[in-house]
Amino acid sequence: MSFIAPLFFAALAALAIPVLIHLIQREKKQIQRFPSLMFVQKVPYRSVQRRRIHNWLLLCVRLAALALIILAFARPFVFREHAGGPVGQGAREVVILLDQSYSIGYGDRWERARAGAYDAIDGLGPNDRASVVLFSSGAEIALRSSTAADRAQMTAAVAAAKTNDMATRFSPGLKVAGSILADSPLPRREVVLISDFQRNGWRGEEGARLPRGTTVTPVAIGGAVDQPNVSVTAVSLARTAFESQERVAVTAAVVNRSTRSLSGGQITLEIGGRAIETERLDVEAQGSASVTFQPVTVTSSTRGTVRVGADALAADNAFNFVLSPAQPVRVVVVDRSGTATPALYLTRALAIGDAPRFETTVRGPDTLSDDDLRRASLVIVNDVAVQAGLGRRLQRFVEGGGGVLVASGPRAAWPAEADLLPADIGMPVDRTRESARIGALEYGHAVFEPFRAPRSGDFAGARFYGYRAVTAKPDVQVLARFDGGAPALLERRVGTGRVLLWASTLDLSWSDLPLKPVFLPFIHRAARHLAAYAEPAPWLTVGQVLDASTGSAAQQGRVVLTPSGRRLPVDEEGSEVLELAEQGFYEVRGQSGDAVLNVVASNVDPAESDLTPMDPKDIVAAAVGGSADASGAVADVPQTPDAQERSQRLWWYLLLLGIVLLAADTVISNRLSKT
Amino acid sequence: MSLLGGHQPSAISGARFMDPVVLARIGQLDLVARAVCDGFINGLHKAPYFGASIDFAEHRGYVPGDDIRRMDWRLWARTDRYYIKEYEAETNMNFSVLLDVSRSMDYGSIGITKLDYARILTACLTNLVHHQRDRVGFVAFDSAIVEHVPPSAKHMDTILHVLDRLTPGRPGSLKEPLHKLAEHFGRRGVIVVVSDFYEDPETIVDAVTPLRFRGNDIIVFHVMDPAELNFGFTDAQAFEDLESGEQMPVVPDAMRKEYVALVNAHTEALRQKFSEVRVDYTLLDTSKPLDHALFRYLSSREKKLRSR
Repeated sequence: MSFIAPLFFAALAALAIPVLIHLIQREKKQIQRFPSLMFVQKVPYRSVQRRRIHNWLLLCVRLAALALIILAFARPFVFREHAGGPVGQGAREVVILLDQSYSIGYGDRWERARAGAYDAIDGLGPNDRASVVLFSSGAEIALRSSTAADRAQMTAAVAAAKTNDMATRFSPGLKVAGSILADSPLPRREVVLISDFQRNGWRGEEGARLPRGTTVTPVAIGGAVDQPNVSVTAVSLARTAFESQERVAVTAAVVNRSTRSLSGGQITLEIGGRAIETERLDVEAQGSASVTFQPVTVTSSTRGTVRVGADALAADNAFNFVLSPAQPVRVVVVDRSGTATPALYLTRALAIGDAPRFETTVRGPDTLSDDDLRRASLVIVNDVAVQAGLGRRLQRFVEGGGGVLVASGPRAAWPAEADLLPADIGMPVDRTRESARIGALEYGHAVFEPFRAPRSGDFAGARFYGYRAVTAKPDVQVLARFDGGAPALLERRVGTGRVLLWASTLDLSWSDLPLKPVFLPFIHRAARHLAAYAEPAPWLTVGQVLDASTGSAAQQGRVVLTPSGRRLPVDEEGSEVLELAEQGFYEVRGQSGDAVLNVVASNVDPAESDLTPMDPKDIVAAAVGGSADASGAVADVPQTPDAQERSQRLWWYLLLLGIVLLAADTVISNRLSKT
Repeated sequence: MSLLGGHQPSAISGARFMDPVVLARIGQLDLVARAVCDGFINGLHKAPYFGASIDFAEHRGYVPGDDIRRMDWRLWARTDRYYIKEYEAETNMNFSVLLDVSRSMDYGSIGITKLDYARILTACLTNLVHHQRDRVGFVAFDSAIVEHVPPSAKHMDTILHVLDRLTPGRPGSLKEPLHKLAEHFGRRGVIVVVSDFYEDPETIVDAVTPLRFRGNDIIVFHVMDPAELNFGFTDAQAFEDLESGEQMPVVPDAMRKEYVALVNAHTEALRQKFSEVRVDYTLLDTSKPLDHALFRYLSSREKKLRSR
């Protein structure tokens, strides 16, 4: 039973009125005025029920009458529960949403969740239909809209379900449930949502709206988080160079999400599948710790895993990563031959730094070989007159994904046959009398983005005594201008590569920019940008996509070997991306299946380890678009007007009974007053 | 009517035994006072202390400045000396009634309030005294002096008028008004204090005693309603103090015995303490006729005269 206007129960406070009348009003009438209470006060007070009810019958009749009238105004109606409900209420379409994210593997939660699903299946009526939907960060229909007679299938679908390595997201499951319910012809719709209701799994409504009239019954698989739950949430890799070898120190971050502290545990670093170091691990309850292992030498791409001891939630105990030697960015500087210190400032600037490391080669315009171009990611043409042959080779280089930076000093020239530069190089502009300065920068561009913040480098301090007047081509982005408005740096995309044209020199002949602090970061940013350098991710998270095209230049069909041993051709669906669904190492192999082209480490979402629950009412309210009570949401079930009237008719009898009691009250009062 | 001799004893008129409730209904105080006093005096066989009030007392030698109308020429004729006649009449006393008109006096459980009873009593006493040619005065007080009629032979009507329009006022307190009055009564006389005395006996006696310091005779009438004396209530109910407005739950049956004992102790303490300071104390029950009070007054006067 429920009430249409429960606010009327506030009027129950009016029940105090008859009680007060019985207690107080009668007493007020009998106040005895007396000259002085001097002697009365001296008599020890013997407590006799001064305020006592004089007529219980009358009081009870009045209270009952008032309560019945208030109850009638609250409009009670009979709400019939779903399980085994009367045939007249209609059959149900039930969607059992079962959370299979890895967090539900904590303790015995998965078994309890499945038990909840079995209960829901057992509660189906003879005419009901039910679907089983497994959800985590996605949703999967295990069994769609079977009749109640197929209980065995439903039970089998639940029994076959397993937890996966994904995180909890409620909205995909609700959306799938909504689509199933929307297609159902049955009059009553219900969703049984079985989950541990992690707070991280709900980020607002996310468009998960169930059809009107749907009832959501949350089944919370919760409980105290008192069993140990330690997870490795991240590792950091500190690289150092040691005698031409690269060494990496691995530091693991460990979080204890349980209410019990861990002492004397173990944390192990595995490299290439072999445990090489084990450290003692102590973590406070709800605390975190970090453990740094001894540096390891990296010569080739190696699999690494940091593992902590077994606990109630096993999935987050291991953290995988790939240790790769840092790949240098190969730069070829084309400088005019015969200089004592060719491109001095440029090569010095590129020699500094190890993230990334630049491997610089200086070549003359005539000595630049195709092999140099094949190995290089970036070619810097430093104030050199480029002939037509070299120009075409550079154009092909850029179209194939390479980067070219052209510094145009007094000797710079570019052949018209090679349409590569973003601008035509014009006559030199002499600013020896009044030096030019950089007037405007495109801070939104990747090259200048680090200089955006205040005191992050001042290009205006550099003086330019000469530059080449350039005429920008269409569809070219001007990244920097001199104070007179002339372009200083222009960018053009050609094919899959990029070209930057610097209108002045990168040495001291025309400017003092190489002496300014901004020179080094400017050259590094420009080189990273043109070489399209991206730091390889040591690991990915389950749910992210694996781009199988990276890691090798080979473009033929490939196979991805999942951690569970399945072989997936990546062009199966005409795409070379694959969503990571398992924790472990994915191997990208060639068509033959033998050569490992790339290895990608995959880890579970560490946020899922946080088992802090949320109130299921929030999800229920968002899904049904209204308020929810503690046991779930009850949206308005469509009923015929007659049925509605029948279910609400109770108020009429209550009101009648209340009036009869009031009449009885009148009779009793009259009799009492006569006596 | 004269209170002096000359009245024949007659049948008891009964007015002095008249129920105070009936008297209270008469309304006109002079009528009530006359009826009561007539009946009272008619019942007396003798009134010895009224005999010589304006009679000759003694002679004294003439001194310049004396009124020659008072010279005794017959004595001059006999002795050839001038003598002045002096009369008793000059010793006529002042008679004042100090009436408590505090809120607590406005209580009556039998149809007459204590204030009405005290009003009739005052009217009767002043009427009685007025007919003795004594000067009558009147003071009404609660916590301060409310009405004040100075003693005079001509103030009888004024007093009756003032009595007639008295209304109970504020909560009462004896000490302050009586101490003020003690300074005021310069001339010896008789002072009657009428009150319900709802204070500690010590406080009451301390308040009344200063009135004696100038040689006044004090007569105290303690007016109480029968309900105050025997606490005949039956229902448990809230009692409200007339003066303070305070309420408290009272179960009369449970506390009657203690209450009556306390009241008796109070009156007894008053009686004893007043006797110690030679003050006549009389407890008056408003359900009883007035003759008891009048007798008390007259016997007091008689004692006074005898002792002179």
